[in-house]
Amino acid sequence: MMSSNENTCSNDLGLSLGMILLRLWLAARAIQTGIEKFGGSKPIDSTVLIDGAPNAYGLTETTADKVYALSNYNGVPAPLYDKFSNEPFIPGWGLNLYDTILGPVLIILGLTLLLGIATRFSLFLMGLVYTSLTFGLILIKQDAGIAWLGVHIIMVVMALALAKYNKFAILKKW
Amino acid sequence: MNFELPKLSRRDFLSKSTLGAGLVLGAPSILKAKEAGAPADDIRVGFIGCGKQHEVLFNAMVNIPGIRYVAACDIMKARVGRTYSTIKSRFDYGIQRYLDAREMLEKEDLDAVFVATPDFWHAPHAIMALEAGCDVYCEKMMSNTIEGARSIVEAMDRTGKLCQIGHQRRSNPRYRFTLDELIHKEKICGQIINANGQWNRALSSSQDIVSKPSILPKADILKEFGFDEGADGKLTEEELRHRFLNWRFYTSLSGGPISDLGAHQIDIFNWYLGAQPKSVMASGGRSFFKDREHFDNVMCIFDYDTPHGNARAFYQVLTTTSAGGGYYESFMGTEGTIEISEREAYTNIYKESGADSAKWDKLVNRGLLKKEAAGQAAGGADAIASYESAPPDKYALPGGLSKQPHTPHIENFYAAVRGEVALTCDARHALESEAPIYWVNPAANNNEIINFTEEHLHT
Repeated sequence: MMSSNENTCSNDLGLSLGMILLRLWLAARAIQTGIEKFGGSKPIDSTVLIDGAPNAYGLTETTADKVYALSNYNGVPAPLYDKFSNEPFIPGWGLNLYDTILGPVLIILGLTLLLGIATRFSLFLMGLVYTSLTFGLILIKQDAGIAWLGVHIIMVVMALALAKYNKFAILKKW
Repeated sequence: MNFELPKLSRRDFLSKSTLGAGLVLGAPSILKAKEAGAPADDIRVGFIGCGKQHEVLFNAMVNIPGIRYVAACDIMKARVGRTYSTIKSRFDYGIQRYLDAREMLEKEDLDAVFVATPDFWHAPHAIMALEAGCDVYCEKMMSNTIEGARSIVEAMDRTGKLCQIGHQRRSNPRYRFTLDELIHKEKICGQIINANGQWNRALSSSQDIVSKPSILPKADILKEFGFDEGADGKLTEEELRHRFLNWRFYTSLSGGPISDLGAHQIDIFNWYLGAQPKSVMASGGRSFFKDREHFDNVMCIFDYDTPHGNARAFYQVLTTTSAGGGYYESFMGTEGTIEISEREAYTNIYKESGADSAKWDKLVNRGLLKKEAAGQAAGGADAIASYESAPPDKYALPGGLSKQPHTPHIENFYAAVRGEVALTCDARHALESEAPIYWVNPAANNNEIINFTEEHLHT
């Protein structure tokens, strides 16, 4: 028969593993979303040949390679940016600032969560970021996106609830 | 930077432009532009109008070398600021900002000017710029009236400057290749007997444009610039601002959907068929947007005597439905049909079952066409054999355009400014193509067939 001490250890192990999974998922979600904001495509054009010679009209066949570069950065995607810029609750300077910092913030918070640096504060700040995104989507009536972000918030709250079972952390304080 | 308010209204300009032309021609030291072909240095560019269409044009030209952006003007300060910021961040230099086009043209040494203002300002602004010695790229329609369009041609002839009209398909390699190689040289359509074009736009894309009131021009400026034209009685600031943002809905400010969307495609009918139509019949209605002055949906039929025989062209513009293939122009002949669009996704070519397969196979082998799929009968129990035609095989163009749709047209304009090529759509050729379009709304309004005469179509 298993002792109550062994039972607790077994439960703690499950909760610790659960916390690691949440950290990994939320970190991957934030880091890659941030990195994708630097993503773009590099078109590779080749001239169409007619009768074996390059055509005179400039017709091309295009294939595209995905590339990442600082110059590709778009914090808030252009179609959303245009919609937000017409929202009275979002000042122009605030939108510019948000557009500038969103990508880097997601990457930094994802990394701190992955490495276990101030895990609880990282989770809290990540929750605030998702809340701010939710606010924007409410203004432009994107209900599906709001629901999707709601799932993120639930996962952040679950991770906060499991914070005392957090393992493999560089800075456990905060 | 200069944000002094303008001194001359559009109405003033229209009534005084002939006198102004005389004064302008008498002041060559002010108006002398660089000789076409002479400058090895950058072309100095100014923008009149910094709204959405300006952004489309600017984004299409940012990678074209040899351009120096000098100045921009718009009566909406925020738009000029946005243009300034865009150029500053991309090219690391500033431009001069104006609210008044006339002042910009007087103070700046410009080689070329882009006009992307509301339709009812195209002619005054294009003429102003031509008379200031600039070569001009003016958005289509040339004007909201045929008289306005004719005045641009007259100013182009008088000043000897270049005036390219923004029918950008005329420079598109896909359109040029299709006309020159497939229709003219290889005659893959056989005799083109019908054309069919459409722009079906969803209700969600046809809504009123709104903006923060705090960044919009005040009522006195909007009145100064004629946004109250054609209105019954005095307009509130809110009504004027609605007209400013949604000028396309008002008959005294624009030609409505047939002009905004249809002009590009009816231009292709005339270009590809090599003729002006001899008549138009049309129908339209305010079937959904009952408070708009223009028809929200228009259908029209042009009748042509082409060099190859009689042909008809049907065109529809819908602002309440997007289904049905988006936007394209289709040329239907005895041997094949070319359904071409600015969007590659909407472009298809079909071979009639009776056409010479060996000839089409040879075109594929030479690289002039790509074969997509053999025709497949729909089949089913409801198919009655005697009613059915054999299904056509489907083909595609051999390549596409690796630039934005407006880029080749702007490249052509800049090359013409340098004296290297001729314009693909100068104002005179544009008006030959646009003239019939001005008569669609009258035909629909009066439920009549308009048989065109020289008086209707002359340029």
